[in-house]
Amino acid sequence: MPLLIFDKAHLIQLVGKKLSDEQIEEIINKTKTNVERIDEKEIEVEITGERIDLFSIEGFARMLRQFLGLERGLPRYKVRKSNLKIKVEKVEARPFAACAIVKNVKLDNKFIKSLIQVQEILHSNLGKDRKKVAIGLHDFDKIFPPITYTEISPNAKLVPLGMETELMLVEILEKHEKGIKYGKLVKSFKKWPVFLDKKGIFSFPPIINSERTKITKKTKNIFIDVTGLNEDLVDYTLNLLVSIFAERKANVESVELIFENRRKILPNFKPEKFSLNKKEVFDLLGIKLKDREIKELFEKVGFEAKVLGNKISVMVPFYRKDILHRVDLIEELAIAYGYENFEPEVPEIATIGSFEKIEKISDKVREVLASLGLIEVMRPVLTNFSNQFDKMNLERIKCVELKNPVSENYTCLRTWLLPSLLEVLSRNKHIEYPQNLFEVGDVVLIDETKETKTLTHRKVAGLVCHSKASFAEIKAIVEVLLNALKVVYKFKNFEHKSFIEGRCGLIIGNGKEVGIFGEIHPKVLENWEIEMPVAAFEINLEDLLC
Amino acid sequence: MKYRLTQEGLNYLNNGLPELNLVKLLEKKKEVEIKEVKKEIENFDIALMWAKKNGWVKIEKNKLILLKKPESYELQEILKRFAEGGEIEEKYLEILLKRKLIEKVDLKVEELRKKFRGKTLTEIQPEILKYGIWKEIKFQKYDVNVPSKKITYGKIHFWNEFVREIKEKLIALGFEEVRGPLVELNFWNCDTLFMPSDHPARSIHDIFELKFPCEGKILDKKLWERVKKTHLNGWKTESKGWAEWNFELAKKLILRSHTTSVSSRVLSRLNRFPYKMFTIDRVFRPDVIDAKHFIEFHQLEGIVVDKNLNFKHLLGYLKLFAKMILETEKVKFKPAYFPFTEPSVEGLIHHPKFGWIEVFGAGIFRPEVTLPLGIKKEYKVLAWGIGITRLAMVKYKINDIREIFGCNLEFVKRVW
Repeated sequence: MPLLIFDKAHLIQLVGKKLSDEQIEEIINKTKTNVERIDEKEIEVEITGERIDLFSIEGFARMLRQFLGLERGLPRYKVRKSNLKIKVEKVEARPFAACAIVKNVKLDNKFIKSLIQVQEILHSNLGKDRKKVAIGLHDFDKIFPPITYTEISPNAKLVPLGMETELMLVEILEKHEKGIKYGKLVKSFKKWPVFLDKKGIFSFPPIINSERTKITKKTKNIFIDVTGLNEDLVDYTLNLLVSIFAERKANVESVELIFENRRKILPNFKPEKFSLNKKEVFDLLGIKLKDREIKELFEKVGFEAKVLGNKISVMVPFYRKDILHRVDLIEELAIAYGYENFEPEVPEIATIGSFEKIEKISDKVREVLASLGLIEVMRPVLTNFSNQFDKMNLERIKCVELKNPVSENYTCLRTWLLPSLLEVLSRNKHIEYPQNLFEVGDVVLIDETKETKTLTHRKVAGLVCHSKASFAEIKAIVEVLLNALKVVYKFKNFEHKSFIEGRCGLIIGNGKEVGIFGEIHPKVLENWEIEMPVAAFEINLEDLLC
Repeated sequence: MKYRLTQEGLNYLNNGLPELNLVKLLEKKKEVEIKEVKKEIENFDIALMWAKKNGWVKIEKNKLILLKKPESYELQEILKRFAEGGEIEEKYLEILLKRKLIEKVDLKVEELRKKFRGKTLTEIQPEILKYGIWKEIKFQKYDVNVPSKKITYGKIHFWNEFVREIKEKLIALGFEEVRGPLVELNFWNCDTLFMPSDHPARSIHDIFELKFPCEGKILDKKLWERVKKTHLNGWKTESKGWAEWNFELAKKLILRSHTTSVSSRVLSRLNRFPYKMFTIDRVFRPDVIDAKHFIEFHQLEGIVVDKNLNFKHLLGYLKLFAKMILETEKVKFKPAYFPFTEPSVEGLIHHPKFGWIEVFGAGIFRPEVTLPLGIKKEYKVLAWGIGITRLAMVKYKINDIREIFGCNLEFVKRVW
């Protein structure tokens, strides 16, 4: 979830009311946002990813104003029509563009800092690292219309932001920091997206703006461009950005976008209407509210509601992209009502509880083996091929393998438990013996016939490790365990490369091959650097179930 | 073989065999009430048995009648001879042995007796108990504060003890325990839970994807179709949907990143109502491994399905769990966001040392989750989870999460 840092004085100034740290924290705690830190200068908040409208200090201040009752209902931003028309041509790499102009902007250090933060967070969160959405802000007075959004040869030239000389777009991808970082988004296309005016390229989305149109403290009028892969998202981002300036009393001017066969005027602040009925609200929340309360509560969280008979119509502001369903609005009502005001109630629901079968057996196995003096350990299901196979003197077989491991120690899922136990022995050579261990845990086996191509199986493995550890000792343990589980069993001589030849047995339980036991091969012990004899067993509990 | 008089034998040697004493008594009185004789003769039952056997007395109407008086009594003579060390015939030895008037003397025991008599011992050897020698010796007194030596023992891992206790409480509340696969389809882990295809929690930084096997199978085509439509345009859920859905992503196999995948599987096949279930199991996340994060950890999660359930009921369950499982009445609730629940809530409990700690994540499943899974509109599904790894760390005072799954045997043995 995004962490945002707001300047406290700046925030309070935008809220328009003096608030103590405690007051700010109290309000925020009633919302989904979490306060991470408040100090003299800053307030750091964790905002849930779906509340894109709160990514800006202006949006956050608006939320606080509404909660405090300083502002009621939907904000009404004024939009004046400009005569600017922008041609949007076919651009394969980024088909959608949206633009608007904001005039008479008062840029100061704080505003510039917060603008940079909101752009960064929109780029990474909503834009998926500029892939879905990229934003460009320009000094409108340095742009010379007509403006066209088009695609152009990579050899076209531009002085990129922060540089003094003209570079070919293809050179920007090699030399400019942003080009190196985001070049992959256009590289595979023949022609690349640009905004052109009379003087040439002034924006190369999603990579870089031009030095010519860069924003400075002196900038009064700003041209905003947003480009991307999804029209709704592109328009939404533009509307959201423009509303930030509108919150700061800048003059918003609309722009007409001319596509090949249609036209569109942006920004668009039109709210959306949702209809709820009172019964569904009351049923879901378990409370009853008066019409007036419904209306006031919705206003507190930034909506406008009308109640007519059984029907509630709610106007949802354009920036609340997270409202997908009526239940989202019902939750908003609950937040406005205050979670602390709900009386918790335990319903009477008669159902019969039960243990999962395999868990019950697992607990029994634990009791038996602990009573035999074995210590239970718990190991990760994630492991690596070396531990699972190489060190166990086995050929590698197919098992579940990770695509994105975070450590070379954990690259695949275990297919058996004994390596996990031997690893414990290898790391505890400094401790007194005997070290008699067991684990009851899951392994994952490949089974192409299953929905997940795998089977999660519960197994038990145990071992004895001390100077006199032997086949006879582990066999006795296995027999006690099988008797305790009421398994009908017999043993068969068996060969397994992890065990000493002639000292390994196959366990046939309830007619199935369910496990093995024996003395661990010295070669295996050597691989694990264990200098004490080990006798061990492993049984698949899943096979004993049915 | 050596023999010696028993305590009883010694008694009879000095005071006469009881049967003989009985006859002597009857000699004076001829007829006596049994009751009276009983008072006067030591070991009356033995006396009567042998007197009858020897044909000296009979019983008539509660009275003892003397039949004849023996001239002399051989056994008394033999006893005397034995005591004086005289030769005794085999058959008399047997009688004396049988009547436990003499006993075999074990030379070894005699030796032991001599060895230990009057001594103060530290160790109690089995012989001391077996031959009653303990009666003749003293035991060394110990200082109870002397440090004890190390002992080997078996034990169940504290985590499983911890989990077992929680499970028992949930089962007592009517919850059924369920288990789901560790390798999951993205479909069950995310798509059925209405997580949009481009949700940040679905990125390669938050979910382990598989190199092998890569793709799962589609078993229920109709379900896939419903989920797809729900993502695209809301299907019949009256939701706006996400306007996009990535089929290739949904098919991918992953390590489940939360146990909510188990809940969605359970809902898809649920045909009993009302219903309550829980699962406690492992989940996987590609985190940077440090004291607070490990790539495997446990989640506890459950659902309650019934008609007429509401938000107050959800809070009621959380409060109940806090009381029963976490043993605290200090709970508070806060709004939260989960892609699959609405309303959503976060529960915090108060810990005397750590203050308010977040333990619950809960909510009512969205219609976009329940309807495509086949749950009818009139049923509500309360879903809740408890961050039990953190709870265990607080309870068992564990500072490093890696210890739970670790190789540190001393730690595993020490933590109860």
